[in-house]
Amino acid sequence: MATVASKQSQNSMLSNIWGWITTVDHKRIGILYGVTAFVMFLVAGIEAGIMRWQLSMPGLDVVSPDVYNQMFTMHGTTMVFFAIMPLNAAFFNYIIPLAIGARDVAFPRLNAFSYWTFLAAVLFMNFGFVVGAVPDGGWFAYAPLSEQPYSTNQGMEFWSIGLMLAAVSSAVAGLNFIVTIVNLRAPGMSLMRMPVFIWMSFVVQILLAFAIPVIAVGLIELTMDRLFGTVFFKPSAGGDPILWQHLFWIFGHPEVYILILPPMGIISDVLPAFSKKPLFGYPFIVFSGIAIGLMGWAVWSHHMFTVGLGPIAVSVFTITTMLIAVPTGVKIFNWIGTLWGGSIEYKTPMLFAVGFIAMFIIGGLSGVSHAVAPSDYQQQDTYYIIAHIHYVLFGGAILGIFSGIYFWFPKVTGKLLNEKLGKYHFWITFVGMNLTFFPMHYLGMNGMPRRIYTYATEYGWDNLNALSSFGYVILFIAMVIFIVNVITSLKSGEDAGHDPWNAPGLEWTIASPPPVYNFSDLPVVEGRDPYWIIKRRAIAEGKELPGPQALVDPSTVHLPDPSYWPAFTSLGLLIFATGFMIEIPVWFVKYPIAIVGGLLVFVGILAWSNEPITREKNH
Amino acid sequence: MKIKHKQVHPLKFIKSPKALIYNGLLFVIILASLGCSSDGRMTTFESFGPVAEVQGLLFDVLIWVMAIVFVLVEFVLIYAAIKYRHKPGAPLPKQTHGNTALEITWTIIPTILVLGLGMWSLQVLWQIQEPPKGSEPLEIVATGHQWWFEFNYPDAANGKAITTANELKIPVNRPVSLILRSDDVIHSFWVPKLAGKQDMVPTRNNPLWFMAEEEGYYYGQCAEYCGTQHALMKMAVKAVSEEEYLAWVEGYGEKPYLSEEAQQGQQVFNGKGQCITCHTSSGPDSEALVQARVNGFLSGAAIAAGPNLTDLATRDKFAAGIYDRTSENLKDWITNPNELKSGNYMYKLAQIYKTEDGVANLTESEIEALVEYLQSLK
Repeated sequence: MATVASKQSQNSMLSNIWGWITTVDHKRIGILYGVTAFVMFLVAGIEAGIMRWQLSMPGLDVVSPDVYNQMFTMHGTTMVFFAIMPLNAAFFNYIIPLAIGARDVAFPRLNAFSYWTFLAAVLFMNFGFVVGAVPDGGWFAYAPLSEQPYSTNQGMEFWSIGLMLAAVSSAVAGLNFIVTIVNLRAPGMSLMRMPVFIWMSFVVQILLAFAIPVIAVGLIELTMDRLFGTVFFKPSAGGDPILWQHLFWIFGHPEVYILILPPMGIISDVLPAFSKKPLFGYPFIVFSGIAIGLMGWAVWSHHMFTVGLGPIAVSVFTITTMLIAVPTGVKIFNWIGTLWGGSIEYKTPMLFAVGFIAMFIIGGLSGVSHAVAPSDYQQQDTYYIIAHIHYVLFGGAILGIFSGIYFWFPKVTGKLLNEKLGKYHFWITFVGMNLTFFPMHYLGMNGMPRRIYTYATEYGWDNLNALSSFGYVILFIAMVIFIVNVITSLKSGEDAGHDPWNAPGLEWTIASPPPVYNFSDLPVVEGRDPYWIIKRRAIAEGKELPGPQALVDPSTVHLPDPSYWPAFTSLGLLIFATGFMIEIPVWFVKYPIAIVGGLLVFVGILAWSNEPITREKNH
Repeated sequence: MKIKHKQVHPLKFIKSPKALIYNGLLFVIILASLGCSSDGRMTTFESFGPVAEVQGLLFDVLIWVMAIVFVLVEFVLIYAAIKYRHKPGAPLPKQTHGNTALEITWTIIPTILVLGLGMWSLQVLWQIQEPPKGSEPLEIVATGHQWWFEFNYPDAANGKAITTANELKIPVNRPVSLILRSDDVIHSFWVPKLAGKQDMVPTRNNPLWFMAEEEGYYYGQCAEYCGTQHALMKMAVKAVSEEEYLAWVEGYGEKPYLSEEAQQGQQVFNGKGQCITCHTSSGPDSEALVQARVNGFLSGAAIAAGPNLTDLATRDKFAAGIYDRTSENLKDWITNPNELKSGNYMYKLAQIYKTEDGVANLTESEIEALVEYLQSLK
C-alpha cells in the first residue's frame, strides 16, 4: 500500500514538474520568470556583498583583483539582464492578459519559449563559475579589453553568447506582447482606457523589438572576433573599439528605459488604488511614456562623453539628454498630483510606490547633472555615476517592483503578504538603500573612480566606504525579512479574496488565484478604471458589491494545450550555444556540438509549427 | 497639523514633518562630516587650473539647482503623503482627473530650465576645447598602457625630446596640451584638480589641455576599467617653477653619476636582469622602439612596453603612482612585483621570475645594486 501511494505521489510530482515544463499558461510562465529572476537578484546581491566587503576598508584582501573584477561584471550583467528585465517580464506575463481582459497572450508557446531561453541564458552564463572562466570585462564589455589577448579565458564568450540567448528571449517576448496588446484587449478597452502599466509595457515591448537587434549585432561581432578571427573591434588590425561602444549604447540607453518604464507603470496603477482617486493626468503620463520611448533613441552618446567624439557630437547629445529629463520629471508631478487630495491608505504596496517617487527624484536629478557634459568630464567613471545608477535602479526599479509584488501577490496566490513584515521590509530597505548609495555621490566627486578593487587610505575615502558597506548589511536584513514574509504568507497568510485593495483594474474582478481560463465572462470595459465604475454603480444603486466572476468547468473553455516543443527548442539553443565553447577537431568541423544543437532547434521549430494548437477536434 | 494620539499609522517612525526635517538634516550633516576631508587628493571640489575651475563652477551651480528642486519636490511629496492620509469614515475623495493648465505649466518650466542649463553647458564645453589663443602650450603625448602612463615630450624645451612615465612634470602657469592615446585597451587620463578626464582610446588621438596655476603635486588615476590592475594605475602631475622645469629638462638623459655599486647595478640592468628588454634608462624612447615592444607583446613574445626609467630618481613614486620611491620599496618590487601589484606584466613576462616561488632569480646584492642604480637615475 505504501509503495503504491508513494509511487502515485512520485508520479504526481513528476507529472507536476512535466506540467510546468510544458505549460503555455501565461500565469505559470509569469511565476517561473518571477521566481527565477528573484533568485538571480539574490545571486547578484551576494556579488554586490562581496564587493562591499572588499571595499569596506582600504587595502583589504578579501578577494583578488581578478575575482573582484568578475564580481562587478557579473553583478551588473545579472542585475540588468537576469533580475530586473525578467522581474518586469514576470509582471508582463502574469498581469497583461488579466488587465486587458484576455485569456492568454497572442502566442502562448512562443511565450513559454521566451522563458526557457531566458533560463538557458542564466545557466549558460553562470556556468562560467563552474569551470573557472567568469566574465570579467565589465557589464558593458568595452573592446579591446573584451577581446584577445587581453581577456584570455572563455569568460567573455560565456558573457557574449549567454547574452545572445537572453536577447532572443526578450526580442521574441517583445513581439508577442505587442501583438497581444494590440489585438486582445476586451471590448471597450480603447488604447486610452488601458491601465498605465499596460501602456508602459507596450512602449517597452516596442523598444525591445528595435533595441535588441542592435546589441545582437554587437554581440555577434564580438563573438566572431573572439572565435572566428574577425577584427571588428581590434585596433591592431584596423578595427574600431568605438564601434562597439556605439552598438552597445544605442541598445543600452533604450535598455535603461526598458528597465524603468514598467516599474513606473506599476506605481502608476498602485498610487490611484490606494489614494482612492484616479491617476492625475493620465494622458500626460501616457504621452510622456511614449516621448521617453522615442527620445531615448537620441541620447546614447551621453555614455560616451569622454571618448573623444568632438564638441559637436557632445553638444547635440547634451541637449537631447537635457530634454529627456522633461517627460521623466513631469511624471513625478503627476504622481504627486494623484496623492494630492486623496484618501491615502498606506498598505505596503503604497509605501513602496511613494518610496519610488522619493528616490527617483534623487536619481533623476543626478542624471540631469550628468547631462552637463563639461561637468560630466569630472563625474564620468566615478562613484557619482554609480550613485545615480542605483538611485534609479534600486530606488526606482526595485522599489517599484516590490510595490508590484505586494500589490499582486494576493491575486497570484490568494493570500495576503503580512502587512507588519511588509512595513519592516520597506523601512529597513529605505534606510539601507540610502546609507549604501547616498555616500557614493560624495565619494565620486571626491575622486573615487569606479571598478577599483581597492583604494589607499590617503585619499580620504575610508569613512564613506565603510558607511556604504554598512548600508549593505541593512539591505541584507531587509531582504531576509521579505523572504520570510513570502514563505510564511504562502503557508499561512490571510485569505485575500478577489479584491483586497478595492482596486480599479480588471484583474480584480476574478478569483484569487485566477482560474486557468482567467475570465468566464468576457468583460466589457466602460472606461478607465473599469472595476471602480462597476463597483461604484453598485453602491449608487444600493446593490451589493459584485463578487468574483463565477467559476466554470475549465474543460468547457477553449485553451491552448500544453506543449514540450518550446522547452525542446530552448534546449536545442542551449546546446547550440554550448557547442561554441567546446572546440573538437572532427574532420574539418570545429564545433560539431553546435551543429547538433542547431539541428535540434530546427527540428523543434518544425515540430512546433506543425503541432495543432489544441488536440481537441470538437469545438 | 494634528495627529490623533490613538492613530497608529505606518509612518509611525516619523512623528511629524518637523521631526522628519530635523532628522534628515542631522543625517545629512553627519554624512557630510564623515566625508569631509580637506586634503582630498583626488577631490573635484578644489581646482588649481582654469579647466577644473570652470567645471567646478558648473557643478557648484548644479548642486544648488538640484538641492532646491530636491527640497521643493520632496517637500510637496511628503506634505501630500502625510496630509492626505485616509481618515476613518472619510468619504470618497474628489475624483480629479487632472488639470491641463497646471500640467502644461509644469512641463514648460522644466523645459526652460533644462534648456538654460544645456545652453550654459555648451558655452563652457566650447570654451574649454582649446587652450587660450596666443598661448604656447607645452605639447605632450600621453599613452596608456596596462597599467602605467607613458609621457612623451617631443620638445620639452629647446628642442629636447623626453620620455618619462607616471609623473608628468610641467611648468606652472603654462598651458599643457596633451594628445591622449593607447597602445592596448581603453584607459582614461584624469587629474581632477586640473581638469576633467578624457579617454585614451586605441585608434584615436584625443586632445586634452589644462594649466596648473600653482606649484604642486596633483594626483591622478586611470578612470576607465582596463583590466586586472586598473585600481593601481595611478599617476601625478607635478607642477614646478619654470627654473626647476628647465633644470629637469637639461639634466634628463645626461649620464648620471654612478657609484661603484650603482655601476654593478647597471650591469645587472643590461645583463642578467634583462631589464633593458622592456625598460629604457638612458634617454627618450623612439616611437619605433615602443611599437616594437608592443608588437612583440601582441605576438606573444616575452616582452612588453615598460616605463622609461631615465629620470626615475626625480619621481616621488613608482609602479604607477602606487609606492613611494624608497630603496626598501624598490627592493621589494624587484624581488617579487607580484606581491605588490598582482598580475602585472613585468612579473608575468620577465625571465628572472620564472622561478618556483616567483621570487627574482637574482642575489640579494644584485638586487641592492640594481636599486642603487635606479636611485641614481636623475
